[in-house]
Amino acid sequence: MPDFSTEPLFEIARRLEIRGETGWLAVLSPAADSAADLDQLQSELQSILQMPSRVIQLERSTFEELREALHHPHNDAVILSGGTGLTQEKWRSLDLMRSALERRGPVVLWLSPGDIGNLTDHAPNIRSFIGGSIFLAGPDGGFMTEAERQERLKELSEHFGFSGDEAVRRAAANESPHEPEFVEWLVLLGRGDLL
Amino acid sequence: MTLERARELAEALDTKTDSELGGLRLGTPSQVLTQIRAYLQRRSDTMNVRNNPIQLLKLYRSNGFAQIDLGPSIDKGPTPDHFRFDSGARLSFGITLRDVERGSQVVAFRYHYEFRDGQLPRYLRFDLNEEPHSDPLREPRCHLHPGIDDVRIPFSVHNPIEILDRIFFVVERAT
Repeated sequence: MPDFSTEPLFEIARRLEIRGETGWLAVLSPAADSAADLDQLQSELQSILQMPSRVIQLERSTFEELREALHHPHNDAVILSGGTGLTQEKWRSLDLMRSALERRGPVVLWLSPGDIGNLTDHAPNIRSFIGGSIFLAGPDGGFMTEAERQERLKELSEHFGFSGDEAVRRAAANESPHEPEFVEWLVLLGRGDLL
Repeated sequence: MTLERARELAEALDTKTDSELGGLRLGTPSQVLTQIRAYLQRRSDTMNVRNNPIQLLKLYRSNGFAQIDLGPSIDKGPTPDHFRFDSGARLSFGITLRDVERGSQVVAFRYHYEFRDGQLPRYLRFDLNEEPHSDPLREPRCHLHPGIDDVRIPFSVHNPIEILDRIFFVVERAT
């Protein structure tokens, strides 16, 4: 597999935003079956492009269903998911219907890592829609690291003037302060169950 | 109007807040993070000061709860982790969510907007407490601190994004 640029899904959605409403790109999922990443991509497209987004499963769609889905509506963001991989025959039939795939709204092809070769070999016209816009979905970067969590726990302990153990004891005894910072402290201690 | 009557009204307001919170369903914590990040990025694109929401926002998940933070948990002065405004003001916030079926509910939040040095009031803080206080007149569950820690003005429950609307389009523009 050639080297493709690795980008967080947020940045990939930003690329579509900068390009304007229309455009095609392909995203290679980090694993063969990553439903959570697909949900995340859909959410990023919706938030960044500020338009509805839909996922269409390519494997399950007939020619007529796919054409209908892409054009009604024709201006939202669509993710065409290749699932765990499409057959060579499916790629060839998709390539034959390339004109029917053209639409006003943006299209993202969501492919398993091994499927890019099939796209290139068996769907050259669709491949030309995408050009160089192929990205590997990278880590999101939005998660708190353990060091960051520890830093916050220290900050909160200093603010309230007692330890995390004491915070848990007070919460269990229903003696906890009301501030949102205390709620945050319990969640960061993994004791949201005491809320 | 007596103090007792004022307390009764404050208690009724907290009951209303509780009911409104029950009806406020958000997307999953990841979706909420995505929405806030996109919102902050869009706002950043219109500003002179550079901020990087993708680095500033942090999500922590644990046992059915999620914490979305930007900036320090306690504002003790400017840090590189704050969201900075053209006016010289800075923002930090934390939102606690509870997982519910196909989404999440707001448990608590804090938004601390600190005006630029020398301006009065010094800050505005929008807080939602997790539970009602025993004296809801002094401490309504959902309240605004107008730059004074012990003064809490009640306000209605908002979607977390709508509080950012007030900060970006009202507070920041008034400075």
